[in-house]
Amino acid sequence: MDLVLIFISAAIVNNFVLSYFLGICPFLGVSNKLDKALSMGAATTFVMVLAAAVTWLINNLILIPYNLPFLQYVSFIIVIASLVQFVEMFMRKFTPPLYRSLGIFLPLITTNCAILGLALLSALRNYNFGQSVVFGLAAGVGFTLALCIMAGIREELDLAPIPEPFKGAPITLIVAGLLALAFMGFAGLISG
Amino acid sequence: MKKGLMFELLKGLWDESPTFRQLLGMCPTLAVTTSIINGFSMGVATLFVLLCSSVIVSLLRSAIPKEIRIAAYVVIIAAFVTVADLFLKANFADISKALGPFVPLIVVNCIILGRAEAFASKHGVIPSFVDALGMGLGFTLALTLIGSIRELLGSGMLGQPWVIMILPSGAFITLGLLIALMNVIKDKTKAKLAPACPLACPGCEQGGVN
Amino acid sequence: MKILKMIVVLTLIGLISGGVLAYVYQWAELKIAANQVRETDAAVFKVVPGTKSYKTIAKDDLTYFECFDDVDGKLGTAILCQGNGYQGVIKLIVGVNADFSKFTGMSVLEQLETPGLGAKISEAVFQAQFNNLAARPPIEYVKGISPSKPNEIQAITGATISSRSVVNIINKTIEEWLRVK
Repeated sequence: MDLVLIFISAAIVNNFVLSYFLGICPFLGVSNKLDKALSMGAATTFVMVLAAAVTWLINNLILIPYNLPFLQYVSFIIVIASLVQFVEMFMRKFTPPLYRSLGIFLPLITTNCAILGLALLSALRNYNFGQSVVFGLAAGVGFTLALCIMAGIREELDLAPIPEPFKGAPITLIVAGLLALAFMGFAGLISG
Repeated sequence: MKKGLMFELLKGLWDESPTFRQLLGMCPTLAVTTSIINGFSMGVATLFVLLCSSVIVSLLRSAIPKEIRIAAYVVIIAAFVTVADLFLKANFADISKALGPFVPLIVVNCIILGRAEAFASKHGVIPSFVDALGMGLGFTLALTLIGSIRELLGSGMLGQPWVIMILPSGAFITLGLLIALMNVIKDKTKAKLAPACPLACPGCEQGGVN
Repeated sequence: MKILKMIVVLTLIGLISGGVLAYVYQWAELKIAANQVRETDAAVFKVVPGTKSYKTIAKDDLTYFECFDDVDGKLGTAILCQGNGYQGVIKLIVGVNADFSKFTGMSVLEQLETPGLGAKISEAVFQAQFNNLAARPPIEYVKGISPSKPNEIQAITGATISSRSVVNIINKTIEEWLRVK
């Protein structure tokens, strides 16, 4: 029950993109085509689950026992960056087809603040290992969901007569605003 | 020389405004601008990290081998972010609480890695300092502006409160309208500007640690 | 040779950063700890008025503070409560008097409710309803009308779910506390 709540809360009610504003860069940049959005979402979800697990281990097996909380940010970002590199190398070597479809998105993920945000939030909330991994999965699913909905809307927007100054980022942001408003309808799903 | 420095300082405020022109650092721009004080504090914290990391990167630019430069920059930036975070927690506990995880998230703010890579690693200490100051001030100004708009309209200081302005949705819409406004002004003064793709930021291009 | 230089430079940067951070942390740690104590003090003193000293007790998943004054001994207990609200976790602290007949105060510590609606649970008007509220039977809420029973509070207009969440969180934690204390 607890895990279901964490999942719904992170994926829908408090969606990473639309309510926590994490991962806005790829949300604005890669959300113009649906297939691209789906691949980016899948790659990000994969890294998020791994990052949630690894940063939990670092935090609870090294940083907390040895009283080194001040190294949290430095170590988390190094771990995430190395993880992305490692996943990229692994995919290139063992699953070339997957690498061809997701590979180009991987380097972009390091600077995606959603990953670091995920690690920090999960440490802040004192999640245990299982909760942390579910939280990572949920955050990834929520990110993919927001990205795909946005891409669907933007494919239609391409055909709409938008005033010149609003083209590009402004209209995307305004649509995101309406989307965030719509997602507020999910609030209350988790209330006790 | 003097004119050159002035240019480096001012470009961050308008022509290359990190928020409105380059669309960098969008996450904190949207997330913490529910009030003037939050927006301003976030801007100053980012300015501090930007100044320190630009100066250090510029000082070390010949000592750091090219292959590991991004990794080195990230470690330097993360260290300064920790300093800023500890300082806020110790002296301004309320602000630190209000900004939450967005203080540590300065680490992945593209503006900082972007200036380190695009400017500080190629220029001397003084121009790098001035460049960082300009960009940081431009960022602070933008966040304070968005924070004031949202707080004034959202808290009802100007009549009926518009609750939407404090909600996440209000952040997206305010920023969208402001960028559109900037585009209108820019259209009238200079040639048309194509909206920069946020993924073109050097931090992203480099893809982190090599 | 080149690889050696890379390793040396990165290690040096890492070591220097770590050293500087350890130094800054030593200075900040005390102040941060003092801030936290001050925060807890303020919350406990607010919900159990007249408290001069308190003892922190952590049992199972519960944290509560036995409150004393310097004259007649035990004044009451302040209990930390936590649960899900409309949009996210709500953390609050509630005070009960020594014979557990009434609540002495309530203060919301953290919440993510909708600004302008649910967020009103943080406002003094709502929280004041818990002063002198009967502790038994469990708290109930009414909508739109003034409370008529000693254990009732009035829900915030347009934010019934947030108000209900606060009531449920307190009732649940009180049951828990009665079991473990």
